[in-house]
Formats: sequence, structure tokens, C-alpha cells
Amino acid sequence: MSMGQMLVSGIQAVFGGGQFFMVVLAIVLGTVFGALPGVSATMAVALGLTFTYTMEPIAAIVFLVAIYCSSITGGSITAILFKIPGVPSSAPTTFDGYPMAQRGEAGKALGVALFTSAIGGLIAAIVMFLLSQPLSKAALAFGQGDMFAITFLGLSILTVLDMDNILTTIISGLLGLFLACIGTDPMAGVTRLTFGVRQLMSGIEMIPVLIGLFAVTEVLKQTNKNKKIDVDKNMQNAKVDTKMPTFKEMWEIKWVMLRCSIVGTVVGILPGAGATIASFMCYTMENKLSKYPEKFGTGIIDGIAASETANNAATGGAMVPLLTLGIPGGNAAAVMVSALALKGVQMGPLLLKNQPEYLSATFVTMIITNILMVIVAIGIAKVFAKILSIPYSFLGPIILCLALIGSYSEGGSAGVVIMCIAGVFGIIVKSMHLNSAAIVLGLVLGGMCEGFFSRAYLMNKANVFKVLFGTPIAAVVMTACILMLLSPLYLPLIKKLTGKKN
Amino acid sequence: MFELIMNVLLFGFLGFTFFTHVLEAKVPKSFLKNPYNLKPDMWPKVIIGLLMICLAINIYRIIKKNKGKEDFNFKALLASAKDFLKSKMFLGMLIIAFAAAIIETVGFVVTVFIVLFLYGMLLGERRIVRLLIISVVLALLLQIIFGGLLDVVLPRGTVPFLRNFALWMENLI
Repeated sequence: MSMGQMLVSGIQAVFGGGQFFMVVLAIVLGTVFGALPGVSATMAVALGLTFTYTMEPIAAIVFLVAIYCSSITGGSITAILFKIPGVPSSAPTTFDGYPMAQRGEAGKALGVALFTSAIGGLIAAIVMFLLSQPLSKAALAFGQGDMFAITFLGLSILTVLDMDNILTTIISGLLGLFLACIGTDPMAGVTRLTFGVRQLMSGIEMIPVLIGLFAVTEVLKQTNKNKKIDVDKNMQNAKVDTKMPTFKEMWEIKWVMLRCSIVGTVVGILPGAGATIASFMCYTMENKLSKYPEKFGTGIIDGIAASETANNAATGGAMVPLLTLGIPGGNAAAVMVSALALKGVQMGPLLLKNQPEYLSATFVTMIITNILMVIVAIGIAKVFAKILSIPYSFLGPIILCLALIGSYSEGGSAGVVIMCIAGVFGIIVKSMHLNSAAIVLGLVLGGMCEGFFSRAYLMNKANVFKVLFGTPIAAVVMTACILMLLSPLYLPLIKKLTGKKN
Repeated sequence: MFELIMNVLLFGFLGFTFFTHVLEAKVPKSFLKNPYNLKPDMWPKVIIGLLMICLAINIYRIIKKNKGKEDFNFKALLASAKDFLKSKMFLGMLIIAFAAAIIETVGFVVTVFIVLFLYGMLLGERRIVRLLIISVVLALLLQIIFGGLLDVVLPRGTVPFLRNFALWMENLI
């Protein structure tokens, strides 16, 4: 399929049969969810699943992608107006956004955030579109060992990203892999770890678990907190009129936008990394590269641009491993994989070869979303003080009801029970200082990891060394994984040695 | 202390699982004929083994970090357990569990109404009449949107009049 044909099929997928109305609904929902503190982008996508049960697979991915992209942008509204990041990836936006709002430049800060978000998202969408097909073609030549190594990379990266808690992150990842083993073994057809529970024979239902971990746990956590969000009274009563940046201002931050778009997209592509890491990384990078680093944190548009361009670019990047390899780059992508698997879509390198419309529909959705969300967010920012005044005593139970719908639709009343258990499990995980993102990635990647490993094991005649290092790709990736996993052992030594030298 | 106990419990559970429940049925002979097949218990056993090693290190780390601390004893744990049982979070868990228990019997609308009303009260909403009205309206609205407009399968309940009511609502659109 040529580029032109792909674009046409993408436009048809987004605009045909009332789908455009659903995209607009997804953008509004995503922006509102993203802006509401306590509703992360992943939770927004998990709650969005509720709307997709009767949709066709392509329509479902279009809807979820629109929610995902717009929720990341929505997070900047509260970050700027109230110093409360709606989503974790908007945290660096507060550093410069809130001081600008306090100076009476909230409208300008919002305008910069929305404009740079759109630029980051658009550049990432184009990169995704150009990169996915060649990568998917290259992935067709990957062996089972290579695929195992790449899947394993996603879990290994997490340990490096959470350097302060490497041991608990490894435990979390392994716990996810352990949970993924529950059910019937795919090769021999023998049940494992079910403890005689019939419902576990087909494995753990992914969607109720994800909804439980991301929605129910969060509501339970909020239950013990203050019911009202502590916001600046002046800002709550202020009328916010978003002002788009002037051409001069845009020109001044052109390199910031370009650099952060590229870095954000690359970080998004890395399995395990995501929008939050991208925004913090780019904010720090721009601070170091800036001619006036002392102004960062005092309320300058460069800081907002760095954070917002990067976190939106990461959304496009995250779609690359998902569409080309069937490997989710992060939690939100993991929810999307589960949603597509539920609809019988076979994820992996063959997906884009057989059904390139998935790529074209995702691309067109990202373009449309990144443009429309600016308009929607301007409207929402105007009334946002009112939206934020909705007490959590209404918002929390509504989230629970959406979670009930999502879990019941997937697994019946057993799904609701699993959701409850996952919600309580999320609280226990938190009190054990484990990393829930690593557990989810382990759970989602576990089946794939084992499948790739067992097939590679069979093909390489039970030679584990050949499985792990038999091809150049597998050898390089596995070496990187081992270096990452062993980093807690050698990094302190390196630090000690370099410290002594200094 | 809670963290330590949970780690120890997880360690014990994994040890028990390792020896008893990794494989719960006999592997077919045809599968075992091929010596290069990955045995179905191998992957989970490797994961459990690694997990137990990491947990053992973590248990040692927790003990070392908290040794001598005032609140690192069973008395403090019991006190915090009592606080937890009185906390809003625990009540929240009970409401969700109650919803899971009744959803199949009373159906979606009643369950959602109960969740909205009870959880709203738990979160500090004291305007009972307003909460009651909003809970009824939202329960009906969610049923119409998801059950009617979006065709999502929602529980109708086994109680005859509630089931008939749910069917009537679904047919409204």
C-alpha cells in the first residue's frame, strides 16, 4: 500500500460511519480526564476502554489513541493554573507554568503549552508513520530469540529508570512475569498455578486487572486524602483566556521544540520509558543547553515548551513498538494491546503487513487529535475552574462506576471480582514500595516473553546460550539487558572509584 | 513492619507454589517425546526462583534498614492495623467488594446507585438529598449511555422486577 493509499484509508477510518464524532468525544474525555488530578493518562485510557467494547478493532484503537494523546495535553491545564499536574508527565510544566500564571500570564502559558503539545504530537506522529512500516518489515526478519531479547529489554529498562529502587523494581517485574504464568501453558496445554480455580485456567483477565490497578487503587488512595483539591483561590476565580504565542515567540523556541520532539519520540519508542521520563529529561536538557539557565523555574516559555513538546512526542513514539512489534512501550500502550487482543487482533510484525490500516488510522487520529485538542483544551481551560470544583465525592464514585462497567463487560461478575482484588493488590503493592508499572509490564509482556523463549529454545535445540546470544541482534540487546540488570552491582563500584579519583 | 511481613508471606507462598502448584496436570507424553521442548514448569520455576532470591535480599535489606527503629515491632503493626480497619480506605474496599457481590443479583442500576451513594457519603458528601438525586440520575444515565447507546452488556439482575426494569431501560433507545 502506497503512502497516499494509506492516508486515504486512515482518513476513511477516522471520518467514516460516525467515527469522527467518537474521536471528538474521546478528545473531550481525554482532555478532561487528563486535567483532573488523580486521573492519569493510563487511567484515562483504561476508563476509555468502557466505550470500545462494541467497536470494531480499528475504531477502538482510534478512540483510545485520541484519549491517550489528549489526556497528556489536558494535564498541562491544572499544572499551569493550579500547580497540580493532571498527569505525572506534566509535573515539569508546573516549574515555569505556575510562576507565569501567578504573574498574570496564565493565558500565555496555556497557549504555549497547547501549541508546543500539538507540535510535539504532530512531529511524533509523522516520525511514527515514516518509521513504523520499515521497522515492521525489518521485524519480519527477526527470529524468536531476537523477539525475546527485545521484549525482555522493556522489562530491563525499567530497572535503570528507577535507579533508587532497583531491587523492588526487579521484584515487581518478576511478580508480573509470575502472574502471567498463571493459566494453561501455551505449548503443552497443561494448567499451571491455578490452585484449582476454574476462572484462572485461561490466565488472568488482563482488562479487569489493569482497571483495578489504575482506577480502583487510585480512588482508594484518594479516599484517605482530603476531599477537596487545595487550589489557589485567586486562580480558581480567575477567568482564563488562552493566548496563542506570537510568531516571534514561536521562532525563539523553535530549537527547543525540535530537540524535545526528537528526544521525546525516541524516549517514547523505548519500551518501558514514557511521557513522564521524556518531559523530565527534556526539561533538564533544555535547562543545560539554554543561554539563560538561571531563568528556568522562574516562569519562561522555554520550560513549558520543553516539557509539553516532549511528553506529547512520547505518545507518538510509544505507538511504534506497539504497532511494529506488538510490544507495549508503556502502561497506556499495554491497555491498548489488551483491548486489541480482546478483539482477536494478532499483534506483532505481521499486523502492519496484513492490515496497514492500523498504522494509517493511528496516524490520522494523532494528526486530528493534536489539532483538535488545542481547540477543545482552550474551551475546557475557560471553564476548568468550574470542572475542578466538582467534589471528589462525586468524581471518585463515577470513576468506580466506569471501572465496574469496564470490568463486567470483559469478564462478567468474575471480572468485577478480579478488579476488586487488583484494586486492593495495588494498595498492597504501594505499601511494599513495589513498582506497579513494572508489574503491569511484566504481566503484559510475560506471555510474549515465554512464547518467544520457548519457540527459540525448541529451534535452537535447547541451547540456552544460542537462544540468548545466537544472533547479532539478540546478542547486543541481551548484553544491554544484562548490563542494565547488573547495574546495581557495578555502578556503586564505579561511583566509588571515580569519587576517590576526584 | 507491614512491608517485611508481606515480603515474608510472599516468599513463603512462592516456596509453597514452587513445590506444589507449578504443574497441576500431567504433561502429555507426546510433548515429552521431543527433548527440545521447553517443559511447561521450567519458565515459571525460573521466575519463582529468581523472585525468591530477590525477596530474600529485600527481606534482609528491610530488617537491616529498620533494625532498632521504634515503630519496627508487632505492637506498632497491630496499632496501625487497628487504624487501617477504622480508615475510610478500608470502608471503601468493603463498598467495592459489596458491589462485586451484589452486581449479578440486583443488576447494574441498583449496584451503581449504591456505589455512588455510599462512596459519596464516605468521601464526605453531607448533602444527602442532593447525593441521592445525583446517584439516581447518574445510575440511570450510565445505564442508558452504556446499555442502550453503546450496547455494552450490563448485568440485568436476577430479581424479576429489577430485570424487567433493566430490559425496559435498554429498549428505551
